Amino acid sequence: MNCSDARDIFPVLLDRRTAANAQLEARTHLAGCPDCQREFSALSQTLAALDTMPTSSPSPRLRQNFYAMLEEEKHAAVSRGGATAAREPRPARVALWRWFLSPVAGATLLLFGFLAGARYAPAPAVAAPATDPATQRELAALRTKVDTMSQLVGYSFLQQQTQRPANDRLRGVLTSARLENPNQQILNYLIGALALDPSTNVRLCAVEALYPHADQEIVRAGVLASLPREQSPLVQLAMIDFLAAARDHEAAPALEKISQTETADGSVRAAARRALVQL
Amino acid sequence: MIATIDEINVHSRPAVLNRSGSLAPVDTAPAQRSDHALMLAVRDGELDALGELFERHHGPLFGFLVKLTGHRPAAEDIAQTVFQRMLKYRHTYRDDGSLTAWMYHLARRCAADYFRKANAAPYATDPSDLHYHADEAPHAAERAATRDDHALLHVALARLDHGDREVLLLSRFQELSFAEVAGILECSVGAAKVRAHRALRELRNSYFQLQKQSLS
Repeated sequence: MNCSDARDIFPVLLDRRTAANAQLEARTHLAGCPDCQREFSALSQTLAALDTMPTSSPSPRLRQNFYAMLEEEKHAAVSRGGATAAREPRPARVALWRWFLSPVAGATLLLFGFLAGARYAPAPAVAAPATDPATQRELAALRTKVDTMSQLVGYSFLQQQTQRPANDRLRGVLTSARLENPNQQILNYLIGALALDPSTNVRLCAVEALYPHADQEIVRAGVLASLPREQSPLVQLAMIDFLAAARDHEAAPALEKISQTETADGSVRAAARRALVQL
Repeated sequence: MIATIDEINVHSRPAVLNRSGSLAPVDTAPAQRSDHALMLAVRDGELDALGELFERHHGPLFGFLVKLTGHRPAAEDIAQTVFQRMLKYRHTYRDDGSLTAWMYHLARRCAADYFRKANAAPYATDPSDLHYHADEAPHAAERAATRDDHALLHVALARLDHGDREVLLLSRFQELSFAEVAGILECSVGAAKVRAHRALRELRNSYFQLQKQSLS
């Protein structure tokens, strides 16, 4: 056994409870190794000094405070117990009465509620059943009116696009984009905005607004016609994505041209090549 | 000088003193209930049993807390809080529990609260809290010889890291097994042993260094 191994056994040797279990090998090493003896002796001395440290006794205040606290808790427990004991018979009485009183009280409350309701409540409106054909027709007419109104709003925005600031034109395009079934006039104006509006944001929004209608020939044709004139790479990218998503095979020559144009933006050319692969 | 095997003397652990300062009798009356039985009685509503536990344990507990905090009034306050919590949380004491381990577990938590508060705000000593205590040193001549050593050991203990001081005091003074110490410290038995021995080495280094400084 070397010094390191022997020193690992020191905690066992230093503890009275486990010293007897220490390996004889460790004791033998310790008996013959001056270095380990010094180490062991120093630790042993430290423990001896620690053990002989005077034991402090607390002041009488600790005992006084403890018993005061104990008495207080006992009183509290007694009063809690008394309160509990005083309350104990009550549940029995309550349980007895509950069998008689609860149904009577419930019936009284029900009767009172019924009478009050019959006297003071307004006459209930006759709810139209959802399956009533007349109501369904009325609802359909209302929906059509609301849709028409929305289209008119968008249309009026678009109509005045040249006079209005870009903010308003953008709002007009956004309003149109929210319409579920825009008419042909609205689509024409969206295509017009895409082709002619001086603001990049408006043109981008117009592409977005046209996405749900990519299945219409006129929409695809409008986007394709605008593509060669478009100067902004952002809008060009949006248009190329649109045409690729719409699987418009007629766009292939235009895309081919863009992919070979040296002056076009790099990312636009890359997008055009990707779109050609998709088509 | 090479020692023989028989000369390698292991110091025994300190005996637990009772309230009057004399050694507790080895054979107790057969009717005397164990700590565990007393605490179970407290849990079941026999609050007076806590008085018996207080008489048995407040001395060693206070000694532990004085060494841990190095501050007598704080140790008294913490000991008081420990018994308060034993009463308050008596219903959490388990049937298979060990009272000593549970009590020192609470003591450790209370001491941690104390250190947290002490770090947050400076501790002011109220002169009215100070009390006169009997000098417990065994003899004036012996005291003269050992006073310096004890003072140095106090300083060395105070220089230890709080965790090291805690594990050393728990494992050496409180008659706790390493399994119980590990339970209190929420670590493995092996880790508790390693920490205790490391703490002892740290104490040794600090203590011997202070001795050298005082001699020079």
